[in-house]
Amino acid sequence: MSEGPPDPDAGHPRLEESQMWNVVSYLISGPVLFGGIGWALDRWLGTGFFVPTGILAGMFVSLYLVWVRYGTQK
Amino acid sequence: MTGNIAILGYGLSAIGPGVGIGLIFAAYINGVARQPEARGMLQGIAILGFALAEALAIFGLVLAFVFKNG
Amino acid sequence: MSLNVLGSLASADGGGFQTPTTSEFYQPLLFDGPLAITRPAVVLMLSVGLIAWWLIATTKRAAIVPSKGQWATESLYGFVRNGVARDIIGSKDFLRFVPLLFTMFVLILVNNLFGVIPLIQYPTMSRIGIPIALTLVVYVTYHYIGIKRVGLGQYFKGLVPAGLPGWIVPLIFVLEVITFFITRPLTLALRLFGNMFAGHLLLLLFITGGQYMIINGGIGLKIAGAGSYVMAFALTIFEILIEFLQAYIFTLLAATYIAGSLSDEH
Repeated sequence: MSEGPPDPDAGHPRLEESQMWNVVSYLISGPVLFGGIGWALDRWLGTGFFVPTGILAGMFVSLYLVWVRYGTQK
Repeated sequence: MTGNIAILGYGLSAIGPGVGIGLIFAAYINGVARQPEARGMLQGIAILGFALAEALAIFGLVLAFVFKNG
Repeated sequence: MSLNVLGSLASADGGGFQTPTTSEFYQPLLFDGPLAITRPAVVLMLSVGLIAWWLIATTKRAAIVPSKGQWATESLYGFVRNGVARDIIGSKDFLRFVPLLFTMFVLILVNNLFGVIPLIQYPTMSRIGIPIALTLVVYVTYHYIGIKRVGLGQYFKGLVPAGLPGWIVPLIFVLEVITFFITRPLTLALRLFGNMFAGHLLLLLFITGGQYMIINGGIGLKIAGAGSYVMAFALTIFEILIEFLQAYIFTLLAATYIAGSLSDEH
């Protein structure tokens, strides 16, 4: 390589854009986790409305976490 | 014809988020191409918009499995 | 679930057309059952032998002015080392992980390309066990690095970003734990597996369907069979592009997870 002495502040230029993939995994685990909790609650209590509530709540928590981590200015 | 109409519904519902995400990143690429210094500012907004559009696609996927057999 | 629509259109043949199912992917060569030596196992061993022979043969007499094989290997290595490892993990401590990332990239690329090479047309990554094995290696790696850096307690405490209102912290903590330990490796393996499986199934459908339509069908179905072969040709080219892309994305994500474990935000 022909760059001279390495720059200690070179950092990782492409880390931020490759973190976009982490957003997808947050968005998937939110509804699945809270929908799963809602489904377990449904089985235990015999009701039928906890699953959609869980999915919606999980999506809200996921979107909030994505906003806090990646959407605001650091 | 045998099959599952929930999967058919998921396939149709994936059209919307696909178009939406394409538009969001087209705007992001245009913005960075016109002014490369604005890249950091636009990246947060692009990721936020991408998350919101992708949320609908994930809803479709999860509900297709929830309502699989009626 | 199988759509036997084409079967109902069969004119002369009494058997009908069977669309390709997932059982097409299980091809035992020796024995049977859980200890069978199947075709993907043989293809995987063949690919490892091929990669080892190629890499050793092109770098044995490394010269300053490279030969063509050495140049190809060096550009591939440079691509993974600079474009993926150094740009993502950072220029301080990326050299430790270049062997892992280079191995993943070359192995997945060669095995994917085996899906379209004649006589070996079987993408090994379309059996779920093999992407799971590769993902396990990456999984153990990035957890081990994170825990070794900050210790077990701080590792878990650092999952939640700072400055959040107190009542939402337990929800976010559970969400982060599930994401970190279950969803990330699962999506990594499933993305690779799903792309290869679906691509191979599509190619099977178009080629066997086209053959069936040309052999036993009226004149309209014969023309449709020729169109099916054109689609199979276009899809093969698309499949090659997807194979490169999936190998690159797997390596990119492995580097991102390793960089996330090394960075200071966690």
